[in-house]
Amino acid sequence: QEVTWRVPTSVPEGSFFYNNFLARFADNVDRLTDGRVEIQPFGAGVVVPALKVYEAVQDGVVEAGHSTPSYLVNQDPTNAIFASFPGGMSAEATLTWLYEGGGAKELAEFRKEEMGLHSMVVGVGTSEVLAHSNKPLKTVEDFENLKYRTSGAWAAVLKEDLGGVPTVVPPGEIYTLLQRKGVDAVEWATPGSNITEGFHEVAPYLILPGVHQPTFVWEVVVKEDTWNALPDDLKTKIELAAKLTTYEGFTHFLDADMKAMEEFAGTNVEIITLEPEVVGKLREAGRSWARKQADAKAADGDQRMGEVLKDYLDYQARWTDGSKYLVRDGN
Amino acid sequence: MFPALFALVFAGIPVSLCLIIVAVAFGLSAFGDLVFLQLYGAVLTTASNFNLAAIPLFVLMGAVLERTGIALRLFQALQLWFGRMPGGLAVTTIAMCAIFAAASGVVGAVEIVVGLMAIPAMQRYRYDMGLGAGTICAGGSLGTIIPPSIVVVIYASIAQLSIGKLFAAIIVPGLMMVVFFLAYVVVRCMLRPADGPPVSREEFDRPLAEKLAVTAKALVPPLALIVAVLGSLLTGAASPTEAAAVGAFGTLVLAAVLGELTFPMLRQAFAVSIRISCMIMLIVVGGTMFTSIFAVTGGSTLVRSAVDALGVGDVGVIAVFLAIVFVAGFVLDWISIVLICVPIFTPVIKAMGIDPIWFAVLVMVVIQTSYLTPPMAPSIFYLKSITPPSITYGHMYRGVIPFVLAQLAVLIAVLLVPAAATYLPSIMVGL
Amino acid sequence: MTRLLDAVDGISGIAGAIAMAMLAVLVGSMIFEVVARYVFGAPTIWAFDISYMLNGSIFLMGAAYALKADAHVRIDFLSSRLPERVQRIVNAAVYALVLAPVFAIFSYIGIEKTVKAYRTAEVEMVSPWAPLMWPFYAALAAGLLVMTLQLLAEAARFALGHKSPGSTEHELEDTEAL
Ligand code: NA
Ligand code: NA
Repeated sequence: QEVTWRVPTSVPEGSFFYNNFLARFADNVDRLTDGRVEIQPFGAGVVVPALKVYEAVQDGVVEAGHSTPSYLVNQDPTNAIFASFPGGMSAEATLTWLYEGGGAKELAEFRKEEMGLHSMVVGVGTSEVLAHSNKPLKTVEDFENLKYRTSGAWAAVLKEDLGGVPTVVPPGEIYTLLQRKGVDAVEWATPGSNITEGFHEVAPYLILPGVHQPTFVWEVVVKEDTWNALPDDLKTKIELAAKLTTYEGFTHFLDADMKAMEEFAGTNVEIITLEPEVVGKLREAGRSWARKQADAKAADGDQRMGEVLKDYLDYQARWTDGSKYLVRDGN
Repeated sequence: MFPALFALVFAGIPVSLCLIIVAVAFGLSAFGDLVFLQLYGAVLTTASNFNLAAIPLFVLMGAVLERTGIALRLFQALQLWFGRMPGGLAVTTIAMCAIFAAASGVVGAVEIVVGLMAIPAMQRYRYDMGLGAGTICAGGSLGTIIPPSIVVVIYASIAQLSIGKLFAAIIVPGLMMVVFFLAYVVVRCMLRPADGPPVSREEFDRPLAEKLAVTAKALVPPLALIVAVLGSLLTGAASPTEAAAVGAFGTLVLAAVLGELTFPMLRQAFAVSIRISCMIMLIVVGGTMFTSIFAVTGGSTLVRSAVDALGVGDVGVIAVFLAIVFVAGFVLDWISIVLICVPIFTPVIKAMGIDPIWFAVLVMVVIQTSYLTPPMAPSIFYLKSITPPSITYGHMYRGVIPFVLAQLAVLIAVLLVPAAATYLPSIMVGL
Repeated sequence: MTRLLDAVDGISGIAGAIAMAMLAVLVGSMIFEVVARYVFGAPTIWAFDISYMLNGSIFLMGAAYALKADAHVRIDFLSSRLPERVQRIVNAAVYALVLAPVFAIFSYIGIEKTVKAYRTAEVEMVSPWAPLMWPFYAALAAGLLVMTLQLLAEAARFALGHKSPGSTEHELEDTEAL
C-alpha cells in the first residue's frame, strides 16, 4: 500500500448505515486503486467521539472521517441544505442536484473554505419514515401538542409552526419510551433501517411520507493537505470510488426499503399516508424555516446560505416541472 | 497490552489509572503525540454519555437508604419471614437485585444500592462473607440481563436486531439466572448452615400481629420506592435513566417524611455518591481508552483472523465464539467485548443460518460472566469500593466462582432449549 | 510543603463540593423533566443536555476528590505483601512521573478546546436547544487540572510517608455481629 487512512464514522460498526456507506466505500477504494489505498473503517465512538468526526480530521487525529452535514446544522444551518431539510428535494432529485446540478461542488467548496477539508459525497439516502406513532396523525392539527422525538430543523418547525413538542430522547431509550407512551411519536430513519429497531412492534401507526427528511447525505472528509499530497491518479480513483459508493448505496437503500414496506404490511401496524394538501403545508413550513435561517445568516453578513438555498430551491422547482414525464410505477 | 496492564494492576495502582497509562503508552506508537488529543476524545465521550447519569443517581439512592434506617429495617423484617430459610438474607439480596435490575440498565448502580443495604445486615448475622460477596456481585450483574439493559441496546444496534425482541428474549434466561442463583444459595446453606445462618427461634417466633406490623413498617418505604421507580418506568413517565432520578428523589422525600433527613447525613450521602460514581466513571474512561487503542493497534484484526481461521459452516463455531467472549471477559469489559466481537461474529452467524436472536442471548449470558471473572471483574471492583476491610478480594474471588458456574448452567440450558430465548420474542404483539 | 499539600486538598475539596451541588441539580432537572413531560405534557428542550453535561462535570470535578479519598479501586492482594515503603515509592513514582504529566496534557487540551469553543461559539451538535459548549468544556478542563494537582499532592504524600496506598477508610465499616 501507498496510503492508509483511519476513517472513523458517527454510526456503530455493523449498522445499516455503516455497511452501506463506509464499509462499501472501503471496499470500492480497495478495488479501484488495486489495493494501493487502504481505508480502515472504525465504528462510532471507538477512535473518536461519534459526533466529533469532523473535528478529529481537522485536528489531524485521523486522516479522514465519515459523517453527515446534519450534525453541523446547529453550528451553521447552511449544512441543512446539503444534508436535506423538511420540504427539501426528493431523494432522486437530490442525487441529481449533487452530481449534475453542482450541489456536490458547492459542498466541497463550502467544506474547503470553512473547515479546510476535502469533501466527497459517499451516500445519498432514501426518504425516512415521518413517524412511528401512538396516535393517528392525519391533519396538521394532529401535530399540536404532540410529544415527538425528533431533532434538527424538523424540531424547530414542529415547535414554531405546528405547535408540537419536540422531545429529546437518547437513541437507546427511544424504543422503551415509545412503548410506554412517554412520547407520542418518534422519527428515526428509513423503512429499511427502522424495521430492525422494531418501533412498529410498540406503536400502532406508521406515518408517511417522510417530508421532514426526504433524503440525507453522508460524506467522507479529508484534510486538504493530506488530500493534496496524493498523486493525481489516486485522487481520481478515490473520487470515483466515492461516487460508485453513492450510487450502489442508493439502490441498496431503495431495495431494503421496499422489502421493509412489504414486511410492515404484514404486521398489525396501520400505515397512514398523509393527504397531499397536508404534505404541502408541512413542506412549505420546512422551506420557510430554511429561508428564515438564510435571512438571519445574511443579516450577519454571510450570504452563502442564501445563495446555496436559492440554487437548491430553483433546482427543486425545475425538477418538479421537468420530471413529470417520468413514468411512476403503480398508476 | 495485557501483560503491561496486569503488571500495573497487580502493583497496586488504581485500575482506572492503569487502563489510562497502558492506553497512552501503546497509543503513542499508533498516533504519536496526537494520542493525547485522541484519548481526550474518550474523556469527552464518557462525560457526554447521558445513560451514565444513572450511576450517580442510583448510588445516591443507595447511600441515602443506607444512612437512614430504611435498609436495615427491611432486612430485619424480611428476616422475620425468610429467617428460618437457609441463606435467607442472600435470598433477599438476590431478590432485591432482580427488582432493581428491572429499573436500571447498568451494572455498578444496582450492585452498590443493594450492596450498601446487604453488607451490614449480612455481617450482623455472621454470614460467610465469600457467599455474601459472591451474592452481591452476582446479584449486581443482573442489571444487564434483566431488561432494560444498555448492553442489549448496544448489541442490537450493532447486530441490526430489534431491541424489543432482544429485551423479550433475555427475560426468560434472566429469570433462570435468578432462579439458579437462588437455588445455589439455598442448597449451599442447607448443606452448610453456618454459611448463611438462620436467625434464632426466639427472634423468629414472634406473634403474627407483631410480625405483620414490623413488616408493614419496614416494607412500606422501600416498596413505595420500587413502585416509584418501576411505576414511573412502566407508565412511561420516565425513561430508564430518569427513573434513577425518581428513585433518588423519592428516597430523599422518604427520609424527610421519616424524620431522618439531617444535614450531616445528606452531606455524607452526597460525598459517598461523588466518590463512588467518579470511581466508576473513571474506570469507564480507562476502558474506553484501552478499547480504542486496542482496536486501532490491530486488536480487531486479531479476533477477526482467529475467526477466519475457523472457517464457516461448523456448529463448533458457536462454541468457539462463546469461548472467545468468555475468555475476553477475563480482561475486557462488556462494552469492549460487544464493540470488538459483535461486528465480526454477526456476518458469520447470518451466513450459517443461525437464529441471530438466540445467538445474541447466548452472548449476553456469557457477557454476564465478564463482570465476575477475575482479574478484571467490574462487579468485584464496585463491591470492593464499598466493603469494610474484613471483606477481602479472597472472599470475592472465591465467592463469585459458583455464580459464574450458575451463569454457565444458564448458557447450557439456553443452548439445549433455544425456545427459552426465542419463544417470547416470537409471540410479541404486532409481528 | 504540608501547607501546599493541604491547599491542594482544599481545592479538590471545593471541586468535590461543587460536584455534590451539581448532583443535587441533576436530580432536580431530571425530576423537572419527568413532571413537565408527564404531568404537563410539555417536556423541556434543555433537560437532556443539562443532565448529560452535569453528569460529565460531576465526574471530572469529583475525580480529584475521589483520588484524595483514595476511592479509586486497586487490586492490592499481591502488592499489599510488599513492604509499605516499596508500595509508597511505586505509587509515588507512577503518580508523579507518569500520571501527572498525562493529566497535565489532558488539562491543556481541555483548556484549548474550551478556548476554541468560546471563540467559535460552538453549540451542541444534535440538540434542538443548541446550548453553547464552552461552559461544559471548562468544567471538564477544571476537573482535569485539579486532578493533576491532586496526583502530584498524593505522590508527595506517598513519597514523604504521610500516607500509604489503600490505607484510607472504607465506605462501609465492619458491623458488629449480633
Ligand atoms: Na436491567
Ligand atoms: Na472479567
